[in-house]
Amino acid sequence: MASNGKIKVLLAQFPLETHSRGIITVAGMLRDAGMEVILMGNALPAQVVETAVQEYVDVIGISTYCGGELALSKDLMKAAQKRGIKKRTVFLIGGIFPPLYIPKLKKIGFDGTFLSATKEEIVACIKAAVAAKK
Amino acid sequence: MDSGKTTKQILKEKLASEKGTPLYNPEALTKMKKDFEVWQNTVVLEKDRKNWFVTPQTIMGSEIPRGLLYTPIDNEHLDYEKDLGFSGQEPFTRGLHANMYRGRTWTLRQLSAAGSPEEVNSRLKMLLERGATGTNLALDLATVQMFDSDEREALGQVGTVGVPIDCVEDMEVIYKDIPIDKISASIVTHYPRNTSIIFPMYLVMAERRGISWDKLPGSVQNDFIMESVVRSASEYIPPRDDFRVQCDNIEFIRKYVPRWNFITLNGYNLREWGTSGITEMAVAIANGIEILKDMGKRGYDPDWVGERLAFFWSPANDFFEEVARLRAVRRLWYRIMKYRFGCKNPRSMWSKCHVQTSGVSLMREEPMANVARSAYHAMAAALGGAQSLHVDGYDEAYSVPSDVANLLALRTQQIIEAETQITQVVDPLAGSFYVEALTNKIEDLILGEIDEIEKMGGLVDVVDSGWLHNKASRYIQREQQMMEDGTIKIVARNYFRDPNLEMPEIWVKEYDPALAKAMADKLARIRSKRNNEKADNTINALIDACKKGGNVMAACVECARADVTVGEMRRAFVKAFGLWKTPIFA
Repeated sequence: MASNGKIKVLLAQFPLETHSRGIITVAGMLRDAGMEVILMGNALPAQVVETAVQEYVDVIGISTYCGGELALSKDLMKAAQKRGIKKRTVFLIGGIFPPLYIPKLKKIGFDGTFLSATKEEIVACIKAAVAAKK
Repeated sequence: MDSGKTTKQILKEKLASEKGTPLYNPEALTKMKKDFEVWQNTVVLEKDRKNWFVTPQTIMGSEIPRGLLYTPIDNEHLDYEKDLGFSGQEPFTRGLHANMYRGRTWTLRQLSAAGSPEEVNSRLKMLLERGATGTNLALDLATVQMFDSDEREALGQVGTVGVPIDCVEDMEVIYKDIPIDKISASIVTHYPRNTSIIFPMYLVMAERRGISWDKLPGSVQNDFIMESVVRSASEYIPPRDDFRVQCDNIEFIRKYVPRWNFITLNGYNLREWGTSGITEMAVAIANGIEILKDMGKRGYDPDWVGERLAFFWSPANDFFEEVARLRAVRRLWYRIMKYRFGCKNPRSMWSKCHVQTSGVSLMREEPMANVARSAYHAMAAALGGAQSLHVDGYDEAYSVPSDVANLLALRTQQIIEAETQITQVVDPLAGSFYVEALTNKIEDLILGEIDEIEKMGGLVDVVDSGWLHNKASRYIQREQQMMEDGTIKIVARNYFRDPNLEMPEIWVKEYDPALAKAMADKLARIRSKRNNEKADNTINALIDACKKGGNVMAACVECARADVTVGEMRRAFVKAFGLWKTPIFA
């Protein structure tokens, strides 16, 4: 949580992801909904977690289109576990991936998975999940 | 030539100095204006008179206001010879060839999607057997971003959205039994650096098959806007260096692979990322201008360079706008080549284009409706006079296309070509008061945006400063808002949405870890059997070429001959140029 009481969100993509229209769109939505957004861009899972620790964020959101979501998300959760932020952080993933991956991604540790969603749906999901982790 | 004047100023002066003949009789126009006013005030309903201009709101639209009715009054200064001409003649508004599709239809070029080199080879052959007339190769993400299949960053992504290529051997498998001296190959290399790395592998593959480079037809993308603006990644080099690599590639290919289109100025991906159709074309043309200036400094004649430039456009939903855009950009490019660069060879004034129907316009909701959307996009491309076409699969919002979607897309092209009969008459929408007025408007708007870029110091500067990134981000945000509030109507999503909407079962490609294993085994084999000392020497020579100004593609050809891998070459570029972080804005 930011010092001003706003929900703080870190948005990132895995290293090779080339599509950024989605992450830019969501960043704007969350900012407009009164959240503090850090748009990190491309990074390895361990780097994402490092930034999340330094910035003390409530939420990590991953944008993915081109694959790697299962393997790299496992790395992300491992890194979060290691740095002690897994329990208190809300994890979201959105973009294009096979729908049958949704249960797998939930099992890996995501609180929200989005293939297509409106601003209201994403914001509601974040607010509920952040409240539940408090 | 570079008098400090902008392209817009140069064209304005040159065009004003040419005498012309207006198509419409001034006397008739004077009478028509009076009659029009009477008609507007007596016949047209008041509400229509008040709302005469309507601004279309569509995905990636240009928001050009449209009148209720168009007449010769909207084309008062239209000059047939100067503005339209005959097909195959200056200013090429009506098409690059006199007979257009009667002579030869557009190239039916479907992207061949994902899988192993062996699978992609089979798919290319399947599409050719069913009537495709060119091949189109999508690369997997690791290859696009220039990582080897066995690097940590590539984890879980080998072969997902295209084919993985690590070294020459993969090229040999992909194009096995395909007559590469007869069938033109489009290799979607995206970036300049990627082109420097991947295209030499194609050349060395041809060499090993005994086919000389001067026989190879095809195209690469090689556009620094893709690397520095449109795409995001963790390892990019600074835009000015990337622009230089782009020009090195052009110089090398133009000299040694003369039938090859050395750049596909990629408006498509920029627009699909987040700009209007005007910015799409303005940026691609601004890049073309920068290239010709750079090649001029290197001592090359614009007529020689210009012959092999090609463009890549995205036609979206606003049908007449899309047709008019293709006509407008053909005329504008001709004028730039003729008046700004003094070209004399008509071929160098041609803006040849490949067109891919818009992917961002396709929806997850009721995906079969996308077949109709893509067919209209494709129809606009054909009526606009495109040279080459890919139609998107209806499953675009789910996955790379399934074989079924890919074949249906090819069939869409064939129906337009063989059944609708639109190909019998060249530029059939010409002379429409609306289409000509829209064509003029679009040409003006594109030139206006080029002017804006040139006044800020040119394209490389506006990329380096993040201006273009910021412009796109603002566009994306605003468009999303208009989609959510219903300003932009999208059938089945926010317009007549089925209250019981269910997402259909759609085939999506799942990740196959076996392919990554096979690629890693191959890499291990290559690295152990090649002459590693020779490989290292070629890598060092590449770093030297980057630092000291030698042609980087020439150095990469030596790397490819020594079986140096994609990732090894990427690291050489980064070592020489350092890293640049793409600016992103929310």
